[in-house]
Amino acid sequence: MSVQEKTQVFNDCEMTDAILKISDVTRTYFMGDQEVNALRGVSLNIHKGEYVAIMGPSGSGKSTLMNTIGCLDVPTSGSYHLEGVAVNEMSEDQLAEIRNEKIGFVFQTFNLVPRVSVFQNVELPLIYKGVAKRKRREIVEKAIAAVGLEDRAGHKSNELSGGQRQRVAIARALVCEPSIILADEPTGNLDSKTGEEIMVLMNRLHEKGHTIILVTHEDEIAEHAQRIVRLRDGLIESDIVTATAS
Amino acid sequence: MKLYLDINESFKIALGAIVANKSRGALTALGIIIGIVAVITTMTAANGLKNTFRQTFASVGSDVIYVSKRPWVQMGPGFRFRNRKDISLAASDALQQKLLGRGIVNPSIGGNKNVKYQSKILENINISGTTEKQIIVSDMVPNTGRFLMPFDIEYKKSVAVIGSEIAEGLYENTDPIGKYIKIGRNKFLVIGVMEKQGTSFFGGPNFDRQIYIPITTFGKTLGHNGGRANVNIAIKAPSQESMADFEYEVIGEMRKIRGLKPAEDDDFSINKLDTLLDAYNNMMGAVVLVGLIITSISLFVGGVGVMNIMFVSVTERTKEIGIRKAIGAKKRSILLQFLFESSTICLFGGIVGLSIAALLTKVINDMLMPASLSPSIIISALVISIVVGVVSGFVPAYRGAKLDPIEALRYE
Repeated sequence: MSVQEKTQVFNDCEMTDAILKISDVTRTYFMGDQEVNALRGVSLNIHKGEYVAIMGPSGSGKSTLMNTIGCLDVPTSGSYHLEGVAVNEMSEDQLAEIRNEKIGFVFQTFNLVPRVSVFQNVELPLIYKGVAKRKRREIVEKAIAAVGLEDRAGHKSNELSGGQRQRVAIARALVCEPSIILADEPTGNLDSKTGEEIMVLMNRLHEKGHTIILVTHEDEIAEHAQRIVRLRDGLIESDIVTATAS
Repeated sequence: MKLYLDINESFKIALGAIVANKSRGALTALGIIIGIVAVITTMTAANGLKNTFRQTFASVGSDVIYVSKRPWVQMGPGFRFRNRKDISLAASDALQQKLLGRGIVNPSIGGNKNVKYQSKILENINISGTTEKQIIVSDMVPNTGRFLMPFDIEYKKSVAVIGSEIAEGLYENTDPIGKYIKIGRNKFLVIGVMEKQGTSFFGGPNFDRQIYIPITTFGKTLGHNGGRANVNIAIKAPSQESMADFEYEVIGEMRKIRGLKPAEDDDFSINKLDTLLDAYNNMMGAVVLVGLIITSISLFVGGVGVMNIMFVSVTERTKEIGIRKAIGAKKRSILLQFLFESSTICLFGGIVGLSIAALLTKVINDMLMPASLSPSIIISALVISIVVGVVSGFVPAYRGAKLDPIEALRYE
């Protein structure tokens, strides 16, 4: 069976209970006069509890696909359903709500809010969600404990090491109990030892049942995932299951 | 609940941002401080002028009508009034008779003279020839000694009741009563000192620098024959009658006394406190309006400064806006965050400006005139500063709120 055929089978048989359904999505931008076709018809289904790595060289449409999955961007054509909700038809504020409740972002550059404490950073998504103060405290403390930063909760983000910052970002991604954790090169700005620690943490999250989508160009990192989707020139080049879901 | 959280959080973020950039916030607020100081001080000064005006004319009394040759507030060319016939003392007596004892009629003549006691001279003092009824038509009474009595008028006595400033100026710490005062070339016996009236309106009469002498003696000192001088007639209306009816009656009687034909215009003027107040309000209203417009310009410039800094603040925090949007901030949250920042800076400026204006008002109060910060001025200052904050913060905040999250996240 060829890779293409294998993908087809995979998508067909589990179409029904996919948490994330992308069908024939295109995304076209204009850079000045030039038309850029970043995605040229991508279809992808991801199921609950999957650990997927999206790979591809620069210019492959990897970032655009990630932005689309993360509801930061809407496709030019095609449809995107997240937990059965059509994201491609949403307004900006509705997208913000979806991002808040269903997506947990982990960025390469951590993207913590400067000047405020670890606690406040982790608390932020809950504030935007409208959770009451006492409840927030409880959730935040739990999330910080889950990433092992209990003793750093009062520190400002610029007083932390890179690895600690990424842990804060992961805690922040977890507090709203998202459908998907979307990690964009989470180890890109870390040394290999710290990077490995972060990946251990990600693996642990997967074991707890979180759906994780990992965007990376490093094979070593992608190996943690159970399924690797490779993009090239705005199309899916291959979609391989490397390990069976536990 | 959600909106409350949004507001609460946005406010905290805004405070954090200001605290992180203290000196920038302070410099930005400076423009608002200057604007608020200018606007508020103009307002308190205007109030001060109004208070002074009221105090000055408090003694005029609102139930008193003055019949004079000229109006107090003169509109148009003055020759019309100059050519009028003088009002004689006889006219005043006639009016008193016609009113049949209703109302109290007091004739007076005014003029300026230098006054002297021993070697001390006060120049250009207002001398008022009047009668014992002066203290009924005005609310001023002597502090020590006595006022003019009917026999002083009847026997043309050379007696004088002096204002408090004259007593201080000529007699310093000694009691002026029983001493002589030289008005022009004539000696008068001081029989009383009037109560101090206090501050006077700029250019208005200063009742503390006034001397009252019997109207019958007035001709001697100022070179007039009492019967020929131009008399002002003050008439206190009887309390049970309406002012308008009484005024109408006085006009009618005066026309008869002056022998006017029905078609002729009045050749005298009726003056009242209301006339003065109207004229004052018209004039001051315009002056204050111009003052407020000019000072508002400085507030406007302050607002432009805030807008400028808010643009910088939004640009600086583009990345932060991106992060917040990525984790679920809606446009409203970002908008509120920056609106709170600009209005907090402005409110801070407003409070500091108000404190400075309060100090300035105190200085004005101590040195110039009775001015004070009223609660309505304080509230309007705070409201104005918040409004300036919201207005000048809106465009930058809106620009921040509608940033594309992807672009904003990519911003370094």
